[in-house]
Amino acid sequence: MADARAEGSILIVDDEVASPIVSAVRRRLEADGWRTVAVEPEGGWRSGDEFEAAALYAIEEAKPDGVLLDVRFGDARDDLFKGLDILRKIVTAHPTLPVLMFTQYAQGPDRETAVRSTLRWDAPVDFIDKLASPEEVVLRLRRLIGTAPEVIRMGGRITLNVSAKTVTVTGKSVEVSGPSGPAALADIHGMRFEILRELAVAWYKSPGRLVPFSALERYSEGEDARASLRVRVREIKDVLGKALGEHLGAGDLIINVRDQGYRLMPKE
Amino acid sequence: MLRRWLASGRLRVAAAALAAAGTLSAALAPLLGEAVSESLWGIEPMAYAGGVALIAGLGLLTASYAARGMPAGGPAASGEGQAPERWSEITQRYFEVFHHDLGRPLSRIVGKERELRAALQERSGEIDPAVADLLDEIERQAPNFRLMMSNLQALIQLEGGPTTVREDAVEPAEVVRRIVERYHGVAVEAGKQITWWSEPAEFGIVYSDGSAIEHIVTNLIDNAVRFAAGEVEVKLTRNPTHFFVRVWDDGLGIPAQYVAHLFDRGWTPEAARRDEKVSSGLGLFIAQTLAARQRGGLTVESVTVPDPDHHTGFLLSLPLGRSTGAPPA
Repeated sequence: MADARAEGSILIVDDEVASPIVSAVRRRLEADGWRTVAVEPEGGWRSGDEFEAAALYAIEEAKPDGVLLDVRFGDARDDLFKGLDILRKIVTAHPTLPVLMFTQYAQGPDRETAVRSTLRWDAPVDFIDKLASPEEVVLRLRRLIGTAPEVIRMGGRITLNVSAKTVTVTGKSVEVSGPSGPAALADIHGMRFEILRELAVAWYKSPGRLVPFSALERYSEGEDARASLRVRVREIKDVLGKALGEHLGAGDLIINVRDQGYRLMPKE
Repeated sequence: MLRRWLASGRLRVAAAALAAAGTLSAALAPLLGEAVSESLWGIEPMAYAGGVALIAGLGLLTASYAARGMPAGGPAASGEGQAPERWSEITQRYFEVFHHDLGRPLSRIVGKERELRAALQERSGEIDPAVADLLDEIERQAPNFRLMMSNLQALIQLEGGPTTVREDAVEPAEVVRRIVERYHGVAVEAGKQITWWSEPAEFGIVYSDGSAIEHIVTNLIDNAVRFAAGEVEVKLTRNPTHFFVRVWDDGLGIPAQYVAHLFDRGWTPEAARRDEKVSSGLGLFIAQTLAARQRGGLTVESVTVPDPDHHTGFLLSLPLGRSTGAPPA
């Protein structure tokens, strides 16, 4: 998965924050551009209540973009579902703050529904299994937080800057290297840029999601919009291929899927 | 009505009293008989009556406990009474408790595997492909375990007998997106791709059972990723009364003689070939049963090699639910 410069922060509230599972998620979030902050209650004794107080304090202080919250805090009977108490307090105090519940319990929609029924109907809350891959956790948080970042990095070498409307490629090609780092690819602008942006944002939000022709044909001209679109996609691939120093064939980077639309498929 | 009467506590008390009286009569018959009369004529009727009372009492007790603890006529025949639902609820509760502990060892193994992968990457930049394959194999057990737990959970609910068809507001595109995210990494590691889309792009909501949809589609995508040669496609469409999820893969296809058994409980292609079983054979059975309970259907079509268009496509169709005038549950 390529990285995006998310430039936001995620608060992690888990009593096993040093465990391999949480550490792997933390590493993946940081590789994705997120700054992670772990809640550490003061003092040696770390009960569920202390985690609750520390979490609510950290939200006020750090103002994170999202929270990754465990359900179970220790084996004490009162702390088995402490995360759900903390969740309710977060939703009450910060109704727009996205919270991803990180749990080992078989949640299932029944329990999720039961928990949700005690929250605001529009609370940005989701549940994920602790056995989920770190990548899945990142994708779920991205979705929950909602907005696509200003800068999307695809496959490590291609970077698309949404607000500057530029595409840069890092690597061997002399042609794209400027004095202060990689220069923007001058040939990807206007409608070509918009097509690539549509594909990049869709891919960022859900890798594997196809963008139908209908959503892309507005960036083409002429009577045969489909053919015009095909030409523009070919041009984008030619420019990027040249900058990357490799030929981008039909099965590379931008794929035409069974005459339904296009999807981005950057190399890992 | 009869089952409720059989399952009642009063009947069990009466049956126990009857059995006790029968035992007592049978035991005392020789003594009482001799006391009542010099001849033995009184013993036999008393022993006989005591035996009948004992058998009847025990029979009633057994029937009463059976009616209380099990669905009459099997799991599917639980339209009346609360016993199956109660059985399902209790089993479900135990399952949830144990699921946490069952998941813990795998969680530790997968955690260590991820730690090892990170350490190897940090040390040498790139992991030896053979080692990476082994680590990937461990990583693949996580989604397998999650699906297995999910199948068991669904099976417990199904064994509880028919329940009311749920009509919650569900976004099918969101459900599909989550499942694709779950399998994206697994597919990429295996050199495969999952592509998904919906028509219309803004698919909107339906009124259905989100849990059932997620369960069915997860099983279909799990199968497709396993058997695809390189491509898996998931397409969501709708008409005025139903919505459809088509899961397609470019695998070798399923031979016609197997298609008839695909949805049988416990059937796997390995069983037909006498190979080692790598799946439980529950997934498609559960998926089709759940689809039928939601008043929908699950069908399959497949083209096998050597046809160049070889593929397998599963089509799930479910009613849109109350807001669109679809038949109410």
